[in-house]
Amino acid sequence: MTTSVRENVAVTGIGLVSAVGGAVTEVFDAVCEGRSGLVRPPADHALHGVVDVAAIGPAIDPESVIPAKDARIVDRSIVLAVRAAGDALADAGIEVGRDVDPYRVAVVLSGVGGLGTLAGQAVERSRRGRLGVSPFMLPGTLPNMAAARIAIRFGVRGYTSSVGTACAAGGQSVGEAMRILRAGDADVVVCGCTEAPLFPTFADAFGNALALARGWSDPTVASRPFDRRRNGLVLGEGAGVFVVERPGFARARGARVHAEVLGWAATSDAYHPTTPRPDGSSAAESMRLALRDAGLSTGDIGYLNAHGTSTKAGDAAEAKAIRSVFGDGMPPVSSTKGVTGHLLGVSGMVEAAISIMVLRNGLLPPTYNLDDPDPACDLNHVRKEPLPARVGAVMSNSFGFGGHNVSLILGPAS
Amino acid sequence: MVDEIRQFLLESLTEMKYSTEDIDDGTVLGPAGVDLESLALAELAMRVEDRYGVRFDEDEAETFAAMTVGEFCVAVEHRAQAASAM
Repeated sequence: MTTSVRENVAVTGIGLVSAVGGAVTEVFDAVCEGRSGLVRPPADHALHGVVDVAAIGPAIDPESVIPAKDARIVDRSIVLAVRAAGDALADAGIEVGRDVDPYRVAVVLSGVGGLGTLAGQAVERSRRGRLGVSPFMLPGTLPNMAAARIAIRFGVRGYTSSVGTACAAGGQSVGEAMRILRAGDADVVVCGCTEAPLFPTFADAFGNALALARGWSDPTVASRPFDRRRNGLVLGEGAGVFVVERPGFARARGARVHAEVLGWAATSDAYHPTTPRPDGSSAAESMRLALRDAGLSTGDIGYLNAHGTSTKAGDAAEAKAIRSVFGDGMPPVSSTKGVTGHLLGVSGMVEAAISIMVLRNGLLPPTYNLDDPDPACDLNHVRKEPLPARVGAVMSNSFGFGGHNVSLILGPAS
Repeated sequence: MVDEIRQFLLESLTEMKYSTEDIDDGTVLGPAGVDLESLALAELAMRVEDRYGVRFDEDEAETFAAMTVGEFCVAVEHRAQAASAM
């Protein structure tokens, strides 16, 4: 299976915003200890009475990250992204312009964009006509604006873009960053994803598609990946940003390296806009191609963080895909969404960060709420308690509406 | 009417998160003074239209940047009076 090995990239900065914390150590402790981020939306939240449960991130004053004059019509997703990017750059110890040429820094910052703000503006348009629509709506909502705001805020003048692959977008942003660095088109890439889906129109779209968990009196048990009684995902919001660098560049500036991305791959189901290909064949190929990209074999993977959203079809298809790749020798597998909820594209970033902590701490988080494993999800589950294990490489999967499959492989700093 | 327009302008600027300290009739609305940029000038034109029922086209809104507060108030007054006379 092993072919050519291409250059790894170093992860030197991590910034997260989520319902279970901002510091990666805090997030890792939450998923290991079962400290759930899932709550019933309180009375003052837009989703109160709309959904049973959600993973709600912290309140962040937009003016704390964006100039007040621009912050009136700006989507929460952009605010979360700028916050996470600032944290990631600080964690990496990088000041653009001081530590790296601004034209040698790229940004790949993804997500569905500011749909909540767009929905609000549509209501204003309906209520007040043309004068109800702000001229600031586009810079406040377009999906590229998180990347643009980060470039503006931190003085990044190199390549900037946004990946639109729904819930695979975070993982794919790391992959695109790897592609940019390997091509020599940048020395540093700020990559990640941001999502703010917790508003009624978006939640109702998921609910009406029968994709949301429902009927659980205790919100903390509503997300139950691979469990026989799972009945849908729990929507979450947040942002996740990595600073990744060419390893030589990181070494030369004396940076601390959290971990390295060893390889990645992306495939498409070519099957259905929302339903995953039932045999999991394209998802499996994504995992195989990522292994090949990293120059590893299945036996090298010591832990697999599954996409595992807690939907009937998605979990079963992923389990089938994992089994077809790894067979009986599969590594321990868990989905951390039982605790975090599903942060859509951001889940790939949160789970890659968790995977980095697995490498550093030698502890595998369990799948919480996996009380009764579904026989259709025949995996080597980590259940109930974290599992101590020193691992040399981990795989993190992300799959998105549209049939997008992304697999990342991470390893320790070399 | 100019006083009322000036008051409307100051309230609008406050809502748009611009400082109104040290603003007087001689303060320029654009970068040399209040520092309204292109989208903010467009929003100000919308606010004028919403309040006074007069419309400034794109080219006219861009000229706001070079106007002083006093000139802006007079321009709005003239436009509003012309509209009411029609």
